Amino acid sequence: MLKCTINGKEVQVKAGATIIEAYMEAKENIAHYCWHPGLSIAGVCRMCMVEIEGNPRLQIACNTKVAEGMKINNTSAKVKESVEWTLGFHLINHPLDCPICDQAGECGLQEYYMSYGKYNPGMAEQKVKKNKVVDLGSKIVLDSERCILCDRCVRFTSEVSKTNEFGIFNRGDHAEIGTVDGMPVENNYALNVVDICPVGALTSKDFRFKQRVWYLKEFETVCNGCSTGCNIKVHFNENGLYRVKPVHNEAVNGYWMCDQGRDLYKFANKEFRQIKATKNENGHVVTLSAGAAAKEVGAMLNKSSGLALVLTGQYTSEEYNSILSYAKNLSAEIYYWKNNPESWDEFDGILYRGDHNPNTKGLELELSSAGIKAKDLKDLYSAIESGKVKTVVVAAPEVQKNYENLEEVFNKLNKADQLIWLTSGRNDLFEKANYVIPMKSFTEKKGTFVNHKGIEQKISKGVTIVSESLSLSEIVELFKGNDLVGFNIPTYERPQLLGGV
Amino acid sequence: MEVKLLTEHYDKPEFKNIEGYKKHGGYEMLKKAFKMKPKEIIEEVKASGLRGRGGAGFPTGMKWSFLPDNGETRYLLCNADEGEPGTFKDRMMMEKAPHQLIEGMIISAYAVNSTKSYIYIRGEYTQSIRTIEKAIKEAYEAGYLGKNILGSGFSHDMDVYSGAGAYICGEETGLISSLEGKKGQPKLKPPFPAVQGYLEKPTIVNNVETLAAVKYIIRDGAAAYKKYGTEKSAGTKLFSVSGDVVKPGNYEVPLGYSLKDLIEKECGGLKPGRKLKAVIPGGSSAPVLNAEESYRATMDYECLAQMGSMLGSGAVIIIDDSRCMVDLLNVILHFYHHESCGQCTPCREGTGWLEKIVTSIMSGRGRPQDIDLLDTVAQNMKGRTICALSDAAALPTISFVQKFRDEFEYYVREGRSKVTGKQLRRHNNRGHHAEMHH
Amino acid sequence: MFQLSADGKKKVQEYLKRYETKRSAIIPALYIAQQENGGWVSPDVVKHLSEVMELPMTHINEVLTFYTMFNKKPVGRHHIQICTNVSCSMAGGHDLADYLCERLGVVDGEMTKDGRFTISRAECLGSCDTAPVIQINIDDYIENVDKAKLDQLVNQLK
Repeated sequence: MLKCTINGKEVQVKAGATIIEAYMEAKENIAHYCWHPGLSIAGVCRMCMVEIEGNPRLQIACNTKVAEGMKINNTSAKVKESVEWTLGFHLINHPLDCPICDQAGECGLQEYYMSYGKYNPGMAEQKVKKNKVVDLGSKIVLDSERCILCDRCVRFTSEVSKTNEFGIFNRGDHAEIGTVDGMPVENNYALNVVDICPVGALTSKDFRFKQRVWYLKEFETVCNGCSTGCNIKVHFNENGLYRVKPVHNEAVNGYWMCDQGRDLYKFANKEFRQIKATKNENGHVVTLSAGAAAKEVGAMLNKSSGLALVLTGQYTSEEYNSILSYAKNLSAEIYYWKNNPESWDEFDGILYRGDHNPNTKGLELELSSAGIKAKDLKDLYSAIESGKVKTVVVAAPEVQKNYENLEEVFNKLNKADQLIWLTSGRNDLFEKANYVIPMKSFTEKKGTFVNHKGIEQKISKGVTIVSESLSLSEIVELFKGNDLVGFNIPTYERPQLLGGV
Repeated sequence: MEVKLLTEHYDKPEFKNIEGYKKHGGYEMLKKAFKMKPKEIIEEVKASGLRGRGGAGFPTGMKWSFLPDNGETRYLLCNADEGEPGTFKDRMMMEKAPHQLIEGMIISAYAVNSTKSYIYIRGEYTQSIRTIEKAIKEAYEAGYLGKNILGSGFSHDMDVYSGAGAYICGEETGLISSLEGKKGQPKLKPPFPAVQGYLEKPTIVNNVETLAAVKYIIRDGAAAYKKYGTEKSAGTKLFSVSGDVVKPGNYEVPLGYSLKDLIEKECGGLKPGRKLKAVIPGGSSAPVLNAEESYRATMDYECLAQMGSMLGSGAVIIIDDSRCMVDLLNVILHFYHHESCGQCTPCREGTGWLEKIVTSIMSGRGRPQDIDLLDTVAQNMKGRTICALSDAAALPTISFVQKFRDEFEYYVREGRSKVTGKQLRRHNNRGHHAEMHH
Repeated sequence: MFQLSADGKKKVQEYLKRYETKRSAIIPALYIAQQENGGWVSPDVVKHLSEVMELPMTHINEVLTFYTMFNKKPVGRHHIQICTNVSCSMAGGHDLADYLCERLGVVDGEMTKDGRFTISRAECLGSCDTAPVIQINIDDYIENVDKAKLDQLVNQLK
C-alpha cells in the first residue's frame, strides 16, 4: 500500500494505482471524460489535470501512478485554469442544442461547466459541421457534433464487446466517431456505449425523448434476464419504468450489462402485465381481485387431492421457501419447468448465459434443502393424462419470451381439471386457465437471487405497478386463508446443506 | 565554412551504390564496430555528445541505455518521416548516401543488440523509398545484413516501411503506432518506447542523421567528433536552409555556427535589395527570431534555447522584409490544424481555432481582441497534451504575435497587410453572422 | 463491387506475412487497392480488403481516413499536389494553385469534368530548397515549378 495526499486528505492506495484511482478512493471530485475504470487508459480528454508537489508541469491523473508520499491537488488556480480551458476547448465546436439533447441533465459538459465554465469563451469562428442524427441500427443514434472524441465507445467495442464497430475516422478537428459506412451496431452489449458516452453523442433509441432524466427516480436491483444476475439500476416515475443501466459489481458484471437484460424492464410495465385475477367458468371469463381469487383457490386446494406445483427459476429464494413448505403440507408433487436446459451451460464469454433464469441456483438449493427431487414436466403430462394429477398450480415465468414453449406447456397443463396460473405477465392464452392470478414483477418485491456462481444477491422493491399483484410468499398466506396485513417476507437464510453445494 | 563529415562524398553519384560506397571506405566501420563490445559503442556514443538530430535533441547514448535488460526482442526504428516544414536533409541523405544510413543503423543495432530494424520513410518520398529498398537489397547480398554478419555472430534484419501522409508520424510514438498499422497517433508516456515501444517491445527510434553520424563516431572516436561544435552541442549538423536566400540548400556545419555566416557565407546572402526580417531557426515549430536576434544567434541547442527558440530539425527558414508575418503565421497554423491527429482536446480544437482567428484577420474581419486571444489560446495549448504538436502550433503563434505585433494590429485596424498593402484573402471562416459560442 | 486483381491479392498476402502484425499490411494494401481502383479508395474497397485481410473494417477505415495519401473520393488521372507550406508559399505555391485551379475551372480538391486532373494544396513535401515543388500522383517531385512549367505539364498530361 502507498500513502498519498489528495487535496489535503491522506489516503492509502494499492501499489501501481493511478492518481485518478486515488481520487476515487478519497472521494474527491476530479473532472474526467475519457477515463473509465472498465476500459484501458486513453489519456486524451486532458481534463483530469493535477498538480503534484515538486513537479512544475501539470500531469493527467489517469496515466500517472501514485508514488509514496505524493502530495496531489486539483484545487489550485493553475489546475483550475487548465481545466477551464480544456473544457472550453471541448465546447468551441460543440453545438448549442442542449434544449433538444436527450443527454440534458446527465451531460458531462453541463456538469463540469458549473465549476469550470469560462462563460466568456471568445469563440467567434464558424464551428466545424459534422454528421447529426446518424442511424446506427435498431438501438443507437449518433450525433457527431456533440461528440467530444473521448474514445470510450471505441475502446468498449474493441476491448469489451470485441466487435470493433466504432472507430474514430479522419483527424484533427474533423475527427468523428462512427461505424464504417454507417454499419449498424447490433451487438448484445451495444447500449453500454450509450451509458458511457459522457455527452449526447450516442443516445438510446428506446429511451430517446421519452423522459427528461431529472423527472426520473431510480432504485438498484438485480437483472432477471439470466443466471449472471447483473446489478442494475432501474429508472422510473409514476408512469412506469423507463430504462435500466448497469451498476458496478466487480464479482458479477463489472461495469456492464447486456442489451437483452436491459430490455426486460418493459415486461414489468403495466401494458404487459396481468392486472386483475380472472376465473374461467365454463368458458366464461370473470374478473376478480387477486386476493379474492387466491382465497378461493386456497380453499379449493385444501380439498383437492392429486395436487401438482410447477416451478420455474424466475422467483426469489424466499418465495420458493414459502411455497415449498406449503406444498409439502398439502402433499403436492413438485415439477420443475426448465426452459431450454440443453443450452444452460452456454456463455458468450462476457455476461450473457444460456440459462435465462435469474434464480436457478436458488430454486435448486431450496429444493434440495427441502429434500425434494423435482420431477420433469413430461412426467406431469402423463400424470395428468392418467388422471393421477387433477389440480396444477404453476408459478409461471415472468419473462415469457425466454420460455419459447410457453404455449405448448400451457395447453398441455390445461388438460388438468384445474389449472391455476400465477403470472406477472399478461397473455390472452392464459384466460383459458381456471384461475389466473397476477404476480409481482422482480421490480416490485424484495428477495434473493442466487446467481450461477452461487453469489446471493438481494433484489429490492422499487415500484408498485400492479397494485393487486402478489409474491409467491404472499399468495401462500392467502391460500392458507390468512390476511396480508402485517405480513412480512421472512429474511432469507441460505440453506445449510450436508456436503455443501 | 562547411565541415563535410557526413556529406563528404555526396557530390559523387557512385556513393549511392554499394560498390561506390565501399570505394570510399563503406562498411569498414561496421567491421571496426564488430571488434568492439556493444557496451563500448554505447559508451563512445555517449561520450561523443551526439544528440538526436530529428528535433528533440535528446542525447542518443542515453536513450540507448534506457533499454531494459529483460531478454525481449528489441527494435531499432529509423525515423525518416521527415515532415517538419523547412526540413529536407534526411531526403538528401537517403537519396545520395543510402548505405551510410544502413551502415550506421547496423552499427547502432549491434550496439543496442537489436535483431530487427525498420526505416520508416514518409510516403511522399518515393525516390528515397526506392533508393533505400535497393540499397538494403545490396547490403543483404553483400552479407552486411542477415544471419551472422561478417562472421561476427550478430544477425540483423532490416526493412522499409512507407508512411502515407501524416506529419505526426514523425513523433516517435506516432511513428510506432503507424508502423503497427494504426492511425499515427502518439502514445501516452510512460511507458517510454525504450521500455515498451513497437508492439510493446523495447524500441529505439532515431533520426536518419543521428544514425548516420554514429558511423563517424566509430571512425574518428568520440573525442574527435566532440571537437566539432560546442560543449553541449557536439558534432556537425545538416541545416536545411530555405526561403529568402540566394542559395537555399543543405549545409553541414559544426554546431555553434553563426546564423549570420550561414546566411551570408553559405547561402549567398539575401536577395538583392532585401533586408532580413526574421528567421525560423529549427523548422516551423520553432519560435521565430527577429533580425536582431538572428544576427546574434549561433546554431546550437543552448543558444537558441536561451533565445526562447530551438534548434529543432535544423530547418532554417529565412524571411526578408517583403513578407507579411500574418500571412506566414496563417500558413504555419493551417499546417498544424491540418496535421493535428485529433486525440488530445486542446490540440484538436486549439489548432483549428488559432488558424481560424488568423484567417479572419486576413480576410479583414479581425477584432482588436483577436491578437490577445491568439496569445491566450496558444498559452493554454502548451504543455497540456500527449505530444508536442500542440506546443508546435502554440509557440510560433506566441512568438509571431509578440515580435511582430505591429503587423497584426495594422491588419486588424486597416483590414490589409502592413507589408503588401493588400488583403490576403484565402478562406473566410468568420461570416457576417458568425455563430457565437454560448 | 471492387475486387483486387490476382496480382494485387498476391501482393497483399505477401505484406500480411512481411511484418510482425497483420495490421501493418493495411497501409501497403491500401496503396495497392487505391491504384487498382482508379486512384481512390471507395467504401467497397474497405469492405473487400477487410475480407481479404481478415481485419475489421474499422481498422482499415481508420487508417484510410487518417493519412492524406489515400483519396477518399475520386480524383483525376493526374492528381497535382502543390506544396503551399512556408517555403513553397513564399516561392508562390498558393499563386500556382490559384492559377491552375482557374485555368482548369475547378476549386481545390475538385476533379476536372474530363477526369484528367485534380488540384490539391499539399503540406510540406520536404523539398524547400527547390520551392515551389509539386507531386503528381504518388511519384517523384517536380521542382522549381513556375507557371510556364505548369502550363507545359498540363498540356502534356492526357
